[in-house]
Amino acid sequence: MKWKLALIGALVVSPMAASAQPTFAGKTVTLIVGYKPGGGYDTTARMLARHLPNHLPGKPTVIVQNMPGGNSIIAANHLYMVAKPDGLTFGTFNRNLPIAQLTGVQGVKFDMQKFAWIGSAANEATILAIRNDLPYKNFDELRKAKQQVVIGSTGPGANTHDFPLLLKELLGVNIKLVSGYSSSADIMLAIERKEVDGRAGSYTSIKPFIDRKLVRPIVRARSMEAGLEQLPIDESFAPTPRAKAIMALRSAPEVIARPYVLPPGTSAEIVKIYRDAFAKAIKDPALVAEATKAQFDLDYTSGEEAVRILKEVLSQPKDIVAEFSKYIKFGE
Amino acid sequence: MGEAFVQGLLLVLQWKPFAFMLLGIGIGFWVGLLPGIGGATTLALMLPFIYNMQPVEAFAFLLGMHSVVATTGDVTSILFGVPGEATTAAIILDGHAMAKKGEAGRALGAALASSLVGALIGAAALALAIPIVRPLVLTFGSPELFMLAIVGLAFIASLSAQGARGMVRGFLAGGLGLFLAMVGQDPQAGVARFTLDTLYLWQGLDLVPVLVGLFAIPEIIDLVVRGTSIAGNAPAGRISQGALEGVKDVFRNFWLTIRCSLIGTFIGITPGLGGAVAQWMAYGHATQSARTPEERKGFGQGDVRGVIGPGAACNSKEGGALIPTIAFGVPGSTSMAILLGGFFLLGLVPGPDMLTKHLPVTFSMVWTIVLANIITVAACFLLLNRLTALTRVQGHLLVPVILVLVFIGSYTSNTSYADIVVTIVFGAVGYFMVVAGWPRSPLVLGLVLGKIAENYLYISVARYDAAWLGRPVVVALLIVAIGVILFPIFQAWRARQRHA
Repeated sequence: MKWKLALIGALVVSPMAASAQPTFAGKTVTLIVGYKPGGGYDTTARMLARHLPNHLPGKPTVIVQNMPGGNSIIAANHLYMVAKPDGLTFGTFNRNLPIAQLTGVQGVKFDMQKFAWIGSAANEATILAIRNDLPYKNFDELRKAKQQVVIGSTGPGANTHDFPLLLKELLGVNIKLVSGYSSSADIMLAIERKEVDGRAGSYTSIKPFIDRKLVRPIVRARSMEAGLEQLPIDESFAPTPRAKAIMALRSAPEVIARPYVLPPGTSAEIVKIYRDAFAKAIKDPALVAEATKAQFDLDYTSGEEAVRILKEVLSQPKDIVAEFSKYIKFGE
Repeated sequence: MGEAFVQGLLLVLQWKPFAFMLLGIGIGFWVGLLPGIGGATTLALMLPFIYNMQPVEAFAFLLGMHSVVATTGDVTSILFGVPGEATTAAIILDGHAMAKKGEAGRALGAALASSLVGALIGAAALALAIPIVRPLVLTFGSPELFMLAIVGLAFIASLSAQGARGMVRGFLAGGLGLFLAMVGQDPQAGVARFTLDTLYLWQGLDLVPVLVGLFAIPEIIDLVVRGTSIAGNAPAGRISQGALEGVKDVFRNFWLTIRCSLIGTFIGITPGLGGAVAQWMAYGHATQSARTPEERKGFGQGDVRGVIGPGAACNSKEGGALIPTIAFGVPGSTSMAILLGGFFLLGLVPGPDMLTKHLPVTFSMVWTIVLANIITVAACFLLLNRLTALTRVQGHLLVPVILVLVFIGSYTSNTSYADIVVTIVFGAVGYFMVVAGWPRSPLVLGLVLGKIAENYLYISVARYDAAWLGRPVVVALLIVAIGVILFPIFQAWRARQRHA
């Protein structure tokens, strides 16, 4: 695969002149997505592929290439080791890959901090919502619940699972976690038939059901979105600094929920071009209109900020990482 | 409601939605024919085109494309023994066997006619279920879904050869399928199981490369070894003339067609079971219609009922799968999940509103499914002679083309070379199973249902401890499962009585 891609690269790509302002006129840029077509990462990437070219010099064509597998570790490894740092390949992958690197997941061959970070196209505000007919009106009441509250989840590594898990383990909320639902929509149906009492997940995906008065939001993680101002943050209830650090560590990647990177070693000039174009594209009214229609909330996070967050995640002391790994497994 | 029903039809018949539907049908036609390239992927790729469409136009386009895929997928399965879609593998067993006997025309005729009947019943079910859809879907919780998976697995008894030896082989193959379903990261503890230290297997085995290997490769080897055309030495005149016979077959077995359509609709309505299950349950049910052991042995050798069953179920499930998607915003299959994205793009919120305020739009979807299927089936009948002529092409000319399509098809599922390796490995497994007389369908059923059974069992026990065993629907489904297992034994007993 490597040699083939290299061959294609050699045929299609001519190295860009370093002196003059690089232009992408007539070129094709490949956007690698670590998932199959259809999901949130893919849909965002496809929207971006249509609008980013307008902001890159020379208006290249951006095509999406799906490279699924290994919860997108395969795509990240490819971007790290195979893709040429010439500005003609960039990619997006699972936001939890820093966690995979931190906890030493097998198969990880990349160092997140060495990618040339473009930025993030969205943040994901994770909340816990419970059925409206339950007696608990706020997080304090939920914490004092005598009866177990059943929370459905898709499985370890997903925010539907990890967020309530930490509420249970670190804050002592009386939660019973039932995992194995095939999708978050599936859990929603289980809530509707009262099989489970609630679920965690992104605010965007739960919002229609809050509007329908099926569930009510109770608590959120650090990452913020409009409409959640009144909701308490899980970290604020942490009994010890260590518990707080673990909760912060889990939610840190959610600020860079749709990460975009260039291969390591990309020249500073090209990185700057991409960062500028990316920042403009995300605020492009045409893209915003499209995203709003699809009920996607786009939030721009700069490449510098992404690198800062990564540094914070990856520089945790060993004992915190060890305890963190007890609860959180990399997945999805 | 009657008014909305007619309004829905008129909406689709406007020139713009109708034109978009025809365009969708054109695309779906080819996607279905080409092996591997699935309907779901195509839907995802087509979503950006609907931004500027009206809801009715968009759904005419997307659903028109989607409802055709299964129909033309049947064509590839029957003619070449290569699953055109993951949902059209079961029809290979008898459909391709018929093609090899020189009855490709009859098999296609039966498949197309049963597809049409199935689609119509699925659409009718969608229309009729609209008032009762909420209680219906809410009755099926995780324990019930687990039991449904068990009923599905019970059909292994029908998919195996008769006699103790046949049963043992069938259930062993089913067990292997369940085992293969465990590959990948498990959703309870997050442990990577049987991944052979590869990242590729983290997400489990993909169905398409496995199916293509299991079914297509043995047929290709067979074709090469025989050194003839697919239809072999069958007389030339018979091949294309049977189409009308096939249509008549559907009406001769009309109740079977209806029952299999209902199975498909029901599996479609139940979110979480997935589209690949319906065809196998329908096929298992079709084999139950055999009255004598000789008749039973005929299944897999080219019994037309083995074509009708999966053909009907495959298309009827689409109407069913729309029900939870529209009423709850919970997709019944991958394709429906992508269609759901389309809802949001168009500013429609799935849920109760779709059954009241937007009812005409909902009915326009029903009509799109109906019209798209009628148009496709008619188009296929026009092309039938050309299609069946392919079974007379010499093997050495056909095999290279099929091989290329097969491997490209597998490769598209993950765009990884490992997809090709999986195809070859399961090609070998499939070949040896055919040579040794082991049934392949239980293996597929186990693979398809394994994950569902495991997850819902876990959820049932975690949520209800043992109390779920007492739920009325669970008990009823358990009785059905036992009935399904005992039925072949009853069949054998009845046959003995008759001989005596």
